[in-house]
Amino acid sequence: MSRKHSAKAAPFDLRAQKLVICLGPGGVGKTTISAALAVHAAVIGCAVDVMTVDPAPRLLDALGLAPDSSEPVGVEFEFALDGIEAPRRTDATRARLRALRLDPKRTFDSIVARYAKSDSARDTILENRIYRNLSGALAGVADYMAMEKLLELAANPDTDLIVLDTPPATEAIDFLDAPRRLLELLNSRAINLLTAPNGIFKSQLRMVDVAARAVLTAFDRVTGLKLLRDVQAFVRSFDGMYEGFSTRAARARDKLRASDTAIVIVTTAESSRIAQAREFIDALESAGLRVSAMVVNRVLADLPDAAELASAHIAPSLRKKLKRNLADYAALKTREEVSLSALRDSLPAGAVMMVAHDLGREPRTIADLAEIGRSLRAS
Amino acid sequence: MKLPRVLFVTGKGGTGKSTVAAALALALSRRRPTTLADLDRRLSAAALLGAVPHNSNVIKVTGSLDVIALTPRTELEAFIERIVPIRAISRRMLRSRTFGYVTAALPGLEAFLLLERLRILAGEAALEDRYLVIDAPASGSAVELLSVSSGVKGIAPAGTLNRLADSIDGFLSDPTRFGAVITMTPEDLAVREALETAGTIRDRLGIATVAAIMNCVPDSLFDTSELAAMSPLGGHAHLAIRRNAAHEQAALVAPRFIDAGLSTFSLPMMFTPAIGPHELEKLGRVLKAELLDR
Repeated sequence: MSRKHSAKAAPFDLRAQKLVICLGPGGVGKTTISAALAVHAAVIGCAVDVMTVDPAPRLLDALGLAPDSSEPVGVEFEFALDGIEAPRRTDATRARLRALRLDPKRTFDSIVARYAKSDSARDTILENRIYRNLSGALAGVADYMAMEKLLELAANPDTDLIVLDTPPATEAIDFLDAPRRLLELLNSRAINLLTAPNGIFKSQLRMVDVAARAVLTAFDRVTGLKLLRDVQAFVRSFDGMYEGFSTRAARARDKLRASDTAIVIVTTAESSRIAQAREFIDALESAGLRVSAMVVNRVLADLPDAAELASAHIAPSLRKKLKRNLADYAALKTREEVSLSALRDSLPAGAVMMVAHDLGREPRTIADLAEIGRSLRAS
Repeated sequence: MKLPRVLFVTGKGGTGKSTVAAALALALSRRRPTTLADLDRRLSAAALLGAVPHNSNVIKVTGSLDVIALTPRTELEAFIERIVPIRAISRRMLRSRTFGYVTAALPGLEAFLLLERLRILAGEAALEDRYLVIDAPASGSAVELLSVSSGVKGIAPAGTLNRLADSIDGFLSDPTRFGAVITMTPEDLAVREALETAGTIRDRLGIATVAAIMNCVPDSLFDTSELAAMSPLGGHAHLAIRRNAAHEQAALVAPRFIDAGLSTFSLPMMFTPAIGPHELEKLGRVLKAELLDR
């Protein structure tokens, strides 16, 4: 795999994108960066939708979102901020920002309702134990539902850009691979096998399938769960809906690989997060997906000049303390630099690395988000 | 303080959960034999202790400290190998993609098996009078993991699985056997998540919390008059304010934990270019003083 330091890469231009997907480990401020990118894009003239997954209450407030806003809500803010480049379109009124919060369960339910052949088929699915567990608990379903909602939003011709926050993942590919996985679940040989009545087609089964069935049967016997029965009922209830799912999964797959889709990996400078981010890059590359940018969030701002302290008119004891303080933060900065340079070395060709400086406070307002968005710069 | 046999260390991502788990294991091992069970896929706590465990093998770090890596996947594999004793078949099955979907349809099975494994490890630890420190997943996933046995009882109201879930529940809710340690940093989000996690763990799951640990707390270097005197110094003043603000934030939130009936204490910010053995020792000394010597 050829990798090189891409300091010369063009800055990441939001106006050239239709879709920006932010991926990253938990706890790195992915939602904040998604919102900041969206606010910045609106400020420079785009009509933007931002879909968040699990926003902090303050961020919900900043975006004016109710905890259950699963449909896009217009975000009111002053677009005329300083340092704005020319808007994308001559029609300056086009710029707008809408936000929504993904509700995986509700989205899944609405898809089932859309594709179910009848009301009773729909209710059978919604009440199935496997479905309830799948839609409520499995992380992959939230991923898949984000994709579904995305397709719905992308169908709106009045939207220039969609910024997608994603559920925290341990592996980047989890999210991007979700539609395929769900489809395969519904269409897999194992499931076909499971739904076949006992004793039929046995001759067509491979040893592995027999073993898979044996495990479920044994598990059922040990647990008294009757899972086999439920899995069968679940898959059977999806009968005839496969087409609809399959078409949408194919569209989601194309969307991810479109030239105006940018995948952005968000991380912080801690070494463990950087290691995780590098795993993300590798996984995406081997899946043939291109990473457009890395955003390192909450990077310490540049340190003040030590020479200022020597000439300042302050008490010697204070000077000494300030020197110590500077040395302390310099040590943290060194720790950070080590991680950042490791990340720089593993940047895929063509990707830019950007840093967002720590505001020193939690972003509470649209102005805070705009400040972060604007300050994102190549590093 | 009498510590439970098992200390389950969790917290919001980025609050130093693995560092605290490693330092805690190191500190406890000075008193009694200790095992660190690393549930984190990247094994950062194990790496901090200089161990690279794999395939649930126990790695000895010192005479009284060892490390084991546990993953839901290896627990599932062990479970499958018990049911399908022919190794060639169980291996092939585990590799087959279709099998992945079958396990996906058994929600929580892997997590459930992992909890059962922890219960067994805790039983062994009790026999040998050793501590078990767990570097658990970040708080959201940790709560999911700990909820799995009550979920299983919901879907399996009778039978072997129900009895198994019962014994896991008994283990988790026994404060002499199991307790959570929650890490946070002096930031609003981390504090809120720690309070929420502690609340969920105690009130919904009935699990004891040993302590909520405020990590990365800088000492306050400057008094008010000094902060006023440095205001013309721009960047330096900013840095000084930042340091003091983190210190004050830590002091401010402590009462909220005490009000919620949780014991809490701080670990100092390590202003060093790296976290290594020296830093773990320093953190371990504070942990030992706060958790063992009181």
